[in-house]
Parts: sequence; structure tokens; C-alpha cells
Amino acid sequence: MLSRRTRMVLAVLIVASLTFIILDLRGGQGPLGGLRSFGANIFGGLERVSSTVFSPVTGASSWWSSMRDQAAQIDQLKAENGKLRGDLTTLQSDKARADALDALLRVSSVGDYRFVPAEVLAVGPAQDFAWTVAIDAGRNDGVENDMSVINGDGLVGHVVKTTANSATVMLVTDAESSVGARIAGSEEIGVVSGTGEQDSLNFQLLDPMADVRVGDSLVTFGSKSGRPYAPGLPIGQIVSISGSAGDLTRVAKVRPFVDVSTLSVVGVVTRPPRVDPRDSVLGKGQVLDSASSPAPLGGSASGTTGGSTAGSAGPSSSPPASNQVEQPASRAPSSGGG
Amino acid sequence: MLWRQAVLMVGLLVAAVVLEVTLLSRLGLPGATPDLVVVTIVAIALALGPTRGAVAGFLGGVLLDLAPPADTPIGVNALVYLVIGYVTGFIIDPRDRTVPLLMGIVGLSAGAATLAVAAIDSVLGDRIEWGQIPQLTLTSALYAVALAPLVVPGVAWLARRIAPDAVFE
Repeated sequence: MLSRRTRMVLAVLIVASLTFIILDLRGGQGPLGGLRSFGANIFGGLERVSSTVFSPVTGASSWWSSMRDQAAQIDQLKAENGKLRGDLTTLQSDKARADALDALLRVSSVGDYRFVPAEVLAVGPAQDFAWTVAIDAGRNDGVENDMSVINGDGLVGHVVKTTANSATVMLVTDAESSVGARIAGSEEIGVVSGTGEQDSLNFQLLDPMADVRVGDSLVTFGSKSGRPYAPGLPIGQIVSISGSAGDLTRVAKVRPFVDVSTLSVVGVVTRPPRVDPRDSVLGKGQVLDSASSPAPLGGSASGTTGGSTAGSAGPSSSPPASNQVEQPASRAPSSGGG
Repeated sequence: MLWRQAVLMVGLLVAAVVLEVTLLSRLGLPGATPDLVVVTIVAIALALGPTRGAVAGFLGGVLLDLAPPADTPIGVNALVYLVIGYVTGFIIDPRDRTVPLLMGIVGLSAGAATLAVAAIDSVLGDRIEWGQIPQLTLTSALYAVALAPLVVPGVAWLARRIAPDAVFE
């Protein structure tokens, strides 16, 4: 059994404990007050050191409960973030639509086109090799076959099919599309045809001797009563020319102004302007620097380009022959030198 | 030598008390605070025998009651821990020590300490939330079991280094 010594030790310890308890319960500054303050002094210093050492682990608050708080907080922030992201997307798409409409209005007001706004509903699958889109305006909105379709950047295509409330538009990039075009700032005309690629059109000049330069912009020449193409609509910019002046077939590659892969808001031109807007619809960035393009045109042509809105009534549909004949002669030296 | 045992015990227990109130209690673990002091007392009792275990328990209890921010009557923990220190040192046969048995002893000790302190406190007039007691007892035992594999071998190693003549074998 227990040794005497063990019994002694146990008895002393238990009595001591009970004494402590009883003394302490009496409260006040009894004999234990000194013990307490002594302990507080010793342990206070130790605890200060220890808590400084462990402060990275314990942190400002307890990591366990803060972890749970953080989980809830993360959930809340995630939800909020998702909502804000949704709002932002809505806002951005609203802004994009507003911008597209603004640009469309600029084109229509500068060129005096009347148009019906529409939104692209569907895009034909690429493997059909037809660049067509469906828009949400149809016969009820005044859309008819062979009307021009534009957006803020320029010519999109023309209407090939209509139903009561929707229409199908063949884009300029479609391989079957061909548009009469004029080089902005001159009277050179030709045919722009689609290649079936979204960023490339072909431009075939009627006059093989014509002076064409990389960077020249093309606008629609205009068809009779504006169908299928109203005059003066920006088409694109020449990026390369094959063949030299005098070759039988001179074809230029044209990058369309309109990005057909991101069409959203378009306008169907229901009434072309009474007078050809000439080059006035071309926006900033769609023409070369003003110094380089109109300079070689000479006095006769500068009058038509400069006063395009007001003074362009005369040469709207059929440019004067004199201009055409005159230009190759005057511009040949500069193109040969470059 | 007696002073070596005293240094060993006081050093271990002071360290345990300081760690418990500055680190373990502030981790904010669910349930009870891991009772490093009771685990250390059990480890000392296992290393040095029941009598020294009882002394260690008494010392550890008093130190824990003295260390700020303790507000319990001095002596309650001492009474409970000295019994635990004595009993654990007494019931374990030094030749029959397996790891699961030791961990079980440590866990039981911590749970019993929680219960006993709560019981004494309530007798002394403290308000005890009895609804929390099962959870506190259980978590206290679990944390003690988790601490045991670190503390028990460490204390045994230190005891053999510092006070080899007192090691209970």
C-alpha cells in the first residue's frame, strides 16, 4: 500500500489546497493577496514575452473563429462580386449599344440617311460559307429587300430577305456580295466584292490606269434610288495593291471599316439622301491625313471634296469625264516615284 | 537530488501555464482550451511516479490559478490536479506502457479535470453552465490526447536528463 512518505505528502498537499481555497474564498487581501500579486508579477512578464513570440500565430483575434467569419465574409463578398459583375456587364453592354447608336446617328445625320435601327439576332454559321446575319427589323418596320445596312463604322451589307419582323442581311464580306465603290477624294470607281473572309475585300478598278494608293478609303458609289447601296457609305481602306498602273487586272485588297464579327446595332437605310454625301460620312481615322490625299487632285477636284455636303449635288451620280481623264496624268509621277 | 527535480517540475509547469494562457487559449479552438498543464502533470507523474506526480499536480494547479488572467479561487485546480497526478502515477505500471494506453490516460485525465473543477466551482458557488460541460469535457480530452504524443515523451526525456535518479521505473 501507500508508503508513509507518500501518505504524508498527499495529506499535506490536500490540506494546503483546501486551505488555499478557504482562504481565497474569504476574499480581501488575506495571506493569499501577496501570493497572488507575486504570481501576477512573475507570470505577467513571462506572458508578455510569450504572447509577443506567439503573436503571429494567435494574431489579433483567434484564427479559428476568424476563419469561420472569413468563410462567411468570403461568401458574402462572392455574392456581392457576382452581382456587381453582372451590373457591370449590363452597363457595359448598354454603353456599347449606346455608342453604336451614337455612331449610327452620326453617319445618318452627316449623310442625311434615314434609317431603321435594328439589332443583330443571329449570325449564320461560318461553315455555311455565307456571311449573313438576321436582324430584328422586318417589313413591319419598313425594311424592304435591297436596302443598305450600315452601322457607325460604315457599310455592313444589304437586305436580301425580309419577313414581317425580321430580315436577313448579306454582309459585304460574303463572297457573292459586290458593291460599286469610289475612291474617296477622287472619282475613280470600281467594284468591291467579298472574299468570304471577315477582314478582307477585293477592289477591282474599272480604269486600269487609275492611280490608287495604299491607305485610300472607299465609299459606296450609290445605286439607282439607293438600292441596294446608298451613296457615300464608308466601305474600307486599301491595304495592298497587286499589279501596276496599266495592267489589265488591278486588284486592291481592302480592309472593311465594319468589323463583321462584332456586329450588334445596325441601321437599315430606308431612304437614301437626296444628294450624294460624297466623302463627308467618312469618320476620323477612315481617311488618310488631309495633307496627303487631296493634294494631287488638283483644283477641279478639291472643290467637290471640300464642299461635299453643300456643293456635291452636281457630280453625284455620274462624275464628269474630264476629271477622270485628267487624274492619271497628274498623279502618275507621284505614284511612279513611290 | 531534490533541487533538480524541483527545477524540472517548476520549469515544465511554468512553461506549460504560460503556453496555455498565451498561445493555446488564444487559438480560439472550438470547445475547451487544450489543457497543456494537465497533460504535463500526467507526463511528470508517468515519468517520476505518483508522489512526485501529486506534487507536480499541486504546483501546476497553484501556478495556473496564479497566472493572470486567472480569477478562480487558488487551490481548486491544485486539489484536482494533485489527485490526477497521484492517480495516474499510481495506476500505470511502468512496465506496461503502450502508446494508446498512455493517450487514453491523458485524455481521461483532462476530461476528469474539467468535470471536477466544474463540480468544485459549483459547490463553491460559481455559476456553471452545465449545458456546455459535455462539450467542454469531450474537447478537452481530445486536445489532451492530441498533445500527449508530444508532451509525454518530451517530459520523459527531460526527466532522464535532469533528474535521472528520480525517474520512476
